[in-house]
Amino acid sequence: MGEVIVITSGKGGVGKTTTTANIGAGLSQLDKKVVVIDTDLGLRNLDVVMGLENLIVYNLVDVIEGTCRLKQALIRDKRYENLYLLPSAQTKDKSAISPGQMKKLTSELKEEFDYILLDCPAGIEQGFQNAIAGADRSIIVTTPEVSAIRDADRIIGLLEKSGLTQNALIINRIRMDMVRKGDMMSVEDVTEILSIPLIGAIPDDEHVVIGTNQGEPVIGLDSKAGTAYSNICKRIMGIEVPFMNLNSDAGLFAKLSGLFRKE
Amino acid sequence: MLRKSSVSVAKNRLKALVTSDRVQCLPDSYDNICRELYETLSKYMGITEDEFHVEIERTHILISFSGEEA
Repeated sequence: MGEVIVITSGKGGVGKTTTTANIGAGLSQLDKKVVVIDTDLGLRNLDVVMGLENLIVYNLVDVIEGTCRLKQALIRDKRYENLYLLPSAQTKDKSAISPGQMKKLTSELKEEFDYILLDCPAGIEQGFQNAIAGADRSIIVTTPEVSAIRDADRIIGLLEKSGLTQNALIINRIRMDMVRKGDMMSVEDVTEILSIPLIGAIPDDEHVVIGTNQGEPVIGLDSKAGTAYSNICKRIMGIEVPFMNLNSDAGLFAKLSGLFRKE
Repeated sequence: MLRKSSVSVAKNRLKALVTSDRVQCLPDSYDNICRELYETLSKYMGITEDEFHVEIERTHILISFSGEEA
């Protein structure tokens, strides 16, 4: 029996889609059968980030409306064993599907897949309600910025209210050089405010941009962000992995000055 | 003279924002809530202001005090 994980954030542009793509690829590398679903109706993105945009025939709405069978809409990512994408519809809007229909779809997918990852749209409207309807647990993505953390807090409140208790946090795009200068909130600063368990911290890494340009997950590349994502995948599976030292790029001077951080 | 770090500014702004989001009050209500809760409780309990603390979480409002010292 598989597990449904919704990847959400509230605020747009913090890295939900990139995170979904990389966790999907990472879990499949760990021999899990994974399907990633783009639930952002009208603003299809996950297919592009994964480099599968030319293979789309059917989409999520087609499956729900019964225009095609589920198997026909699933796109297999040939670079990975057992990784599938169910793309979103570009021409429909949020009202084309309901939370009940999403719940039915995810419970069907649980029979066949180990993990079902839902890339949630930004916002707290119906698209969000659809995405969380069938979820067993959630991953909240934020960046160390006031607006993103504020939205994450609201989203966590809404998730808790809807009965989801297993919620974990990813802090994305951390710049340790700025953290050391006291100009970016650290992992500790963010978790102190949001008070939910941390499942990963991802350094700001140009490999992510390069990967997105090419439609390739960064998880396969020898990069800090790739390592951070693969650690997250292991933690999702319940394997304990120590958090990586984001400071390892710093010279001695930077490390020393980190000791005297302004408060 | 060290410039005040922008992180401490960010954290203070964020704490006020999430508090007001969580209980749907004005961002600056937190200080008033704390003061009035203290005033009420101190009528009945032997507490002092510096050992009294209010924390607004997503699902709870926690009132804590450090208690009597041995």
